[in-house]
Amino acid sequence: MTQKLVVIGAGMASGRVLEHLFEEAPGAFEVTLFNAEPRGNYNRIMLSPVLSGEKTYEEIVTHDDAWYAEHGVACRFGEPVLGVDRARKVVVTEKGETPYDKLLIGTGSAPFIIPVPGKDLPGVITYRDLDDTNAMIEAAAQPGAQAVVIGGGLLGLEAAAGLRLRGMEVTVLHLMPHLMERQLDPAAGYLLRKELEDRGISIRCKANTHEIVGDGKVEAVRLDDGTEIPADIVVMAVGIRPDKRIAEAAGLASGRGIHVDDAMVTSDPDILAVGECVEHRGACYGLVAPLYDMARVAARTLAGDAAAYAGSVTSTKLKVTGVDLFSAGDFAEGEDREEIVLRDAARNVYKRLVIRDDRIIGVVMYGDTADGNWFFGQMKDGADISAMRETLIFGPAYAGGTPLDPMAAVAALPDDAEICGCNGVCKKQIVTAIDGGATTLEAVRGRTKASGSCGTCTGLVEQLLAVTLGDAFEMPAAKPVCACTDLTHEDVRRLIKARELKSMPAVMQECGWKTSCGCHVCRPALNYYLLADWPDEYADDPQSRFINERRHANIQKDGTFSVVPRMFGGITTPSELRAIADAAEKYAVPTVKVTGGQRIDLLGVKREDLPAIWADLTEAGMVSGHAYAKGLRTVKTCVGTDHCRFGTQDSTGLGIAIEKRMWGSWTPHKVKMAVSGCPRNCAEATCKDVGVICVDSGFEIGVAGAAGMDVKATELLAKSPDADETIEIICAFVQLYRENAKYLDRPYKWVAKVGLDWVRARVVDDLESRAALVARFDHSQRVFQKDPWAERADPGTRKAYRPIADLTLEAAE
Amino acid sequence: MMTAETETVQPATTGGRAFIEVTEVWTPDPDTGVLKLASGIYGPHDGFAAVSGTESFAKGEGLPGKAWADGRPVVLNGFRGTYFKRTEAAEAAGLTTAVAIPVFEASELRGVIVFLCADDRSRTGAIEIWEEDPGQTGLLRLADGYYGAAKHFEWVSHHTQFPRGQGLPGGVWAAGASMLMRDLGSSYRFIRAESAGQAGITTGLGLPVEVPGPETVVLTLLSARGTPIARRFELWDAVGGSGADARDVVLVDGLCESEGPLWGNPRRVAAWHGPIGQVAATGVPLARGSKSGEPVAGLPAGCIAVVAMPVFRGGRFAQVVAWYF
Repeated sequence: MTQKLVVIGAGMASGRVLEHLFEEAPGAFEVTLFNAEPRGNYNRIMLSPVLSGEKTYEEIVTHDDAWYAEHGVACRFGEPVLGVDRARKVVVTEKGETPYDKLLIGTGSAPFIIPVPGKDLPGVITYRDLDDTNAMIEAAAQPGAQAVVIGGGLLGLEAAAGLRLRGMEVTVLHLMPHLMERQLDPAAGYLLRKELEDRGISIRCKANTHEIVGDGKVEAVRLDDGTEIPADIVVMAVGIRPDKRIAEAAGLASGRGIHVDDAMVTSDPDILAVGECVEHRGACYGLVAPLYDMARVAARTLAGDAAAYAGSVTSTKLKVTGVDLFSAGDFAEGEDREEIVLRDAARNVYKRLVIRDDRIIGVVMYGDTADGNWFFGQMKDGADISAMRETLIFGPAYAGGTPLDPMAAVAALPDDAEICGCNGVCKKQIVTAIDGGATTLEAVRGRTKASGSCGTCTGLVEQLLAVTLGDAFEMPAAKPVCACTDLTHEDVRRLIKARELKSMPAVMQECGWKTSCGCHVCRPALNYYLLADWPDEYADDPQSRFINERRHANIQKDGTFSVVPRMFGGITTPSELRAIADAAEKYAVPTVKVTGGQRIDLLGVKREDLPAIWADLTEAGMVSGHAYAKGLRTVKTCVGTDHCRFGTQDSTGLGIAIEKRMWGSWTPHKVKMAVSGCPRNCAEATCKDVGVICVDSGFEIGVAGAAGMDVKATELLAKSPDADETIEIICAFVQLYRENAKYLDRPYKWVAKVGLDWVRARVVDDLESRAALVARFDHSQRVFQKDPWAERADPGTRKAYRPIADLTLEAAE
Repeated sequence: MMTAETETVQPATTGGRAFIEVTEVWTPDPDTGVLKLASGIYGPHDGFAAVSGTESFAKGEGLPGKAWADGRPVVLNGFRGTYFKRTEAAEAAGLTTAVAIPVFEASELRGVIVFLCADDRSRTGAIEIWEEDPGQTGLLRLADGYYGAAKHFEWVSHHTQFPRGQGLPGGVWAAGASMLMRDLGSSYRFIRAESAGQAGITTGLGLPVEVPGPETVVLTLLSARGTPIARRFELWDAVGGSGADARDVVLVDGLCESEGPLWGNPRRVAAWHGPIGQVAATGVPLARGSKSGEPVAGLPAGCIAVVAMPVFRGGRFAQVVAWYF
């Protein structure tokens, strides 16, 4: 006997159910199909090519009038369902009631609208259906029209690319640090951003929309930081939510979506649900593959056959012509997993496999996704990859093969193989140069220019030297930053400047990092190099700092912290001392110590007390002493001409002036300074990173001293009759150190590498160079000379310093 | 030595005359190094086909040789007094315009495709060569083109520039891949829309043309309703990777007068299989059809001729673009 099947929603999932149902149980159901949209089923995921003009709506229609007629489907399009009366088994619309034996709900999802002022202005469009698409096409018709897309996920980026192709000026606003963060890791997100920016699309990450501005229609989007971006349309593509309204109103069990069992049956045995509106085993899906899997099961259930949906493993591609990305599975970092990374900077290729227990659990690929489906298959099958691990990343063609000896691979390269892409140098040219007597990397570079630009082919050139010269070639022992790269610190610093790399993913991709996100060794170094070279563009990454810098306090062996307020030049006042004493008492600081750098150290402060003690000290007019920082620590002084019989200059005044100018600056390692008022050197300036000795004729500036593991006297950098010039020279020296030194090299180690003459030429002799260094230092200070205590004293920040667990209680129990 | 496949199939599409009368492919002879005719579709122009079959071009010689030597596409409007070597035969066939597109794999010439059109006031369409402004301003400007009777559209195009990522040429440039635009009138809405609409131009095929120098070159074939470029277009992407099947190709987009959209069911062709597979395997363009006008084995149903062109990206084989008559 024919049963009545009513379907709510003519989307891709319910459409696929009908296709399967008509195949499996032809004639078993008399179908009525309701759709709020005034049209039947079309391939919704192909709306992006319709937007871009690469497809027409007619092409993406999956079921036309003829198909519905052929299968006897009563189409009720443009007739939204108002409710379901489960007791009487009828569906209610404005036109009346329609009885059902079985009901299939496929209401899909509704776009999420961020609740900001102006969200309802004309010109704010979501991106869900053909009407939205046509509205965007219409908007793109205005000459010079500008679009802002809020949301840098799949849908937002497809909209952005389509609108750009239509001729609009497009800005994408994304709240998260990188695009498509749910599908891509930062490295792939960087490449995607680069690609889209290359298409003329402006991308702003970490952009929080504050308000949509307009008088009667959209005119601009205002961000939290006050930036206003003009817009003729705003496309809201921040996410979707299962549309469960009808089901909920009908009393069906639901959570994030409509609850269904493995047979796609809801809490009512006569009602099934499929697609984006459902929640199955706690998961909601927004991609098409799971929807089709559900549809197959739902059709079998309706046909009376047993079938079970077990959930789906999904993969992602972006439908933007020329953008080649693939993502599947879990690619978060974790201690229980390892990764295999392959990068080709010249071709913008990035591949990463995440492996746990010898099985692939995540795949992220950009630029060359040819093997994506093969990896995906291995992942879904849970295949043991241990036997082919060495060559796995190269794909199925090499799976299980013997890893190539890199030397053999280089030897096998044809003569015309390009080694240096930057300068177009092939293998034969290099070998000819080597045969002609260029037996070192520098000599080859001098004759052929190979490896002379970006330097990423240095390893290849060295291997060619080794292959050609055999034992006669000694591989240079340059130490790479860490196991993530073959490049040295110096190489990386050079490339960051030369190629204007301004983010960590940019450095890792363009320099061919072997890991996806670096390690505890390279990340702090890169973080420093980037903030030193690009103070305006680079945003400091606290997660790439050591804990002391992250917490802005030195952690002690018992887990407490030390707090050291800055005392410029070692000078303090009675009121500051009272505030310090009060703080020490208030927070029960067990130890108060005077340091060798002429500061007062409060030792034993509990983590959760840090913001409060900082707030109290800030209130008393003090700032952080940065006693934990790779930055300027202290400028120690003697009392100089103010009080001392032997003082030749105002050493205290000079020390205070230096410290006030330079505090807050980040440097490759800590920097300690001192100013002594006479050669008796009470401030011990001759063993500091920078030490000034005042003499009758002015100031002797010494640098590169040490008094730690190594003890070394300073070397005279310059003499100056003038205090202001002395400060300028010191700023220039520190800036030169900031721009050139290897991370964690103290100045004395750096000067030993580059030579004091090299430093003096740039800091003392060349006045133009000195002025430029000082200007760059001062510019950097405009960004970084901020008191971290004041920034962290507010209640919001204090939360971060609360203990994670109440260890006292745990211990008591 | 390769034997030329010259066919005299009429390259007309269903219900209309073709915009391009003759398509020929010239490839470097491995023995002599000169360009020889490898394949061609000549329609009714037997005389021109016969002359072409006896011809060869050294680098820099004649139109194909010039495209080779210049390392970029060349458009020739009118042949008399130019370096075009087959002027009399072309004029006898009523052919007045030729466009030569060199196909390079890295710096190595794989072939030269030559399109020849007849000056006809009733035929519209466009073959356009877009190049980045010499100042590398991030804008594509029209280097040259042929528009048939679409004179106003031609004028507009000469005064249009495309930023990277915008419109068909800018989109192809940004994507580094071929694109098939259905909604050309709409997508060119404020750029060239009105004029394109008046000219009846609807569908556009854009291809990146890789040349040995640093220049950016985009070829667009714009098809008008009455005199379409072809009755069927296909875009095939290389499977890629480093495996044995790297030169297999997958159909990613397409449009056919009779079958409609071709992208719904993924199809794959192995290297060397059929005309598409041959172009994928060799990297050499192809223009092949039947003499009799009967359907040809290996071509889609109802099609009697095919032009297939490889697309290279960064010196690597990336796509096959094909159109059928």
